[in-house]
Amino acid sequence: MFLESKEEVIIEKEEFKPLIVAFCCNWCSYAGADLAGTSRQNYPANIRIIKVPCSCRVNPNFVLRAFQNGADGVVIAGCHPGDCHYSTGNYFTRRRLTIFTNLLDYIGIERERLKVDWISAAEANKFASVMNEVLEKVHKLGPNRKLRDVRWKR
Amino acid sequence: MEEITLKTREIAYKDLSTGKVDRVIGFAKGDFIYESNPTFISDIDELDALVWDSFCVNNLSKYLINELKDVKKIGIFLKGCDSLGFNQLVQDNKVDSDNVLVYGVPCEGMVDPNKLKKDNLLKGLIDIKRSGEKILLITKQGDKELKAKEYEYDKCINCKHPNPVVYSELLGDYITRNNNVVDDFQEIKEIEAMNSEERFDYWSKQFSKCIRCYACRNICPVCSCDKCIFENYEPGISGKGKVDSEDQFFHIIRAYHVAGRCVDCGECSRVCPEGISIDKLNRKIIKDITEIYGEYDAGLNTSKSSVLVNYELEDFDPFESIKGGK
Repeated sequence: MFLESKEEVIIEKEEFKPLIVAFCCNWCSYAGADLAGTSRQNYPANIRIIKVPCSCRVNPNFVLRAFQNGADGVVIAGCHPGDCHYSTGNYFTRRRLTIFTNLLDYIGIERERLKVDWISAAEANKFASVMNEVLEKVHKLGPNRKLRDVRWKR
Repeated sequence: MEEITLKTREIAYKDLSTGKVDRVIGFAKGDFIYESNPTFISDIDELDALVWDSFCVNNLSKYLINELKDVKKIGIFLKGCDSLGFNQLVQDNKVDSDNVLVYGVPCEGMVDPNKLKKDNLLKGLIDIKRSGEKILLITKQGDKELKAKEYEYDKCINCKHPNPVVYSELLGDYITRNNNVVDDFQEIKEIEAMNSEERFDYWSKQFSKCIRCYACRNICPVCSCDKCIFENYEPGISGKGKVDSEDQFFHIIRAYHVAGRCVDCGECSRVCPEGISIDKLNRKIIKDITEIYGEYDAGLNTSKSSVLVNYELEDFDPFESIKGGK
């Protein structure tokens, strides 16, 4: 009995738990995450949300640093184009990240690891489903080894 | 070539003596015959140092940023590719075009001393002359005629802009180069066709050669920030460590910082001491921009603003999963 339970613990430890970093815009996606919480939607606990004022605040440096320091996937979520609190912020995000996601894909980072989506404050369902979807895809891909900083330890 | 050398001296003399310009940026011979180095001349007596030959490859336009802090009016000799960089500097408000007199020099292509060196042709070299597709080496052992295409810089082989796109005065005649390039982005497509593991292997091999000398950044006519992120060593911004992740960080962010402004002059790859094909990163971005936002040649047109500082409501949206939003 004792031995069995010990084995179980070891297996659990070895299981891959992806770490997802989500950059959420303060006005839409962060509120969407909040609503997902208050309306008791299920979304995985391995998602670390970082609040940013606007999705266009997300500098590509942040994405690279996240990958280097332990993230297996990165999500960037902002208001729907046209709904930006600062009127035009996410139009710039759209262009920049179109180029940047293509560039990362060209360098060899799987496209599934970097997800950009538009989630409004009312879309708790969408927030939960996007997070579940990303987690599932990243889980399938396995731990991210690319771009990883060798000095980094989990 | 000698003709143009005389013309550069003549025009520089004319404009310096009449006070049209306060300083001239051109080329002077270095220690070796295959070295033509940038030179800054304010004194008429020093004008005899000015030359123009097959080794004047540097893009002088970036020097304008610093030189214009000292003096008011500057005359500068620019080739086709340099003039694109100059245009981009004007567009980025780094240089006021009213203070610059551009002497355009059509360029047949510059000769790579490293390629000559490889074939042991630098020994006893006295002079080099170029006419069209042929270059003539005048050496102590006698003359030698070579095919120009084999000894040009890589970036010159498929040159699209042999003639300056902007100039106040043109020295020499317009040149037509026939390029037999079928597909501009052939190399990029080859890399895109690999799978992601192969691509990552390819690029990490390239990036791990990097010694982070920042030559590519320093030569780049559009890398013109006063304060550079790669010199900001605050924790988490730019690391000094010589590890793969920092090299990758440098190259990805450098390419991204010039996205939409890169004039595709190929200087970054030329100066790289480790031979990293940096231009393949820039060209991938140019390819994407062309495919997604339409034909846009940075540096050709100063009135049109750059792609990434602009937007349109109807832009292509690769991220919209469910149409209609809410």
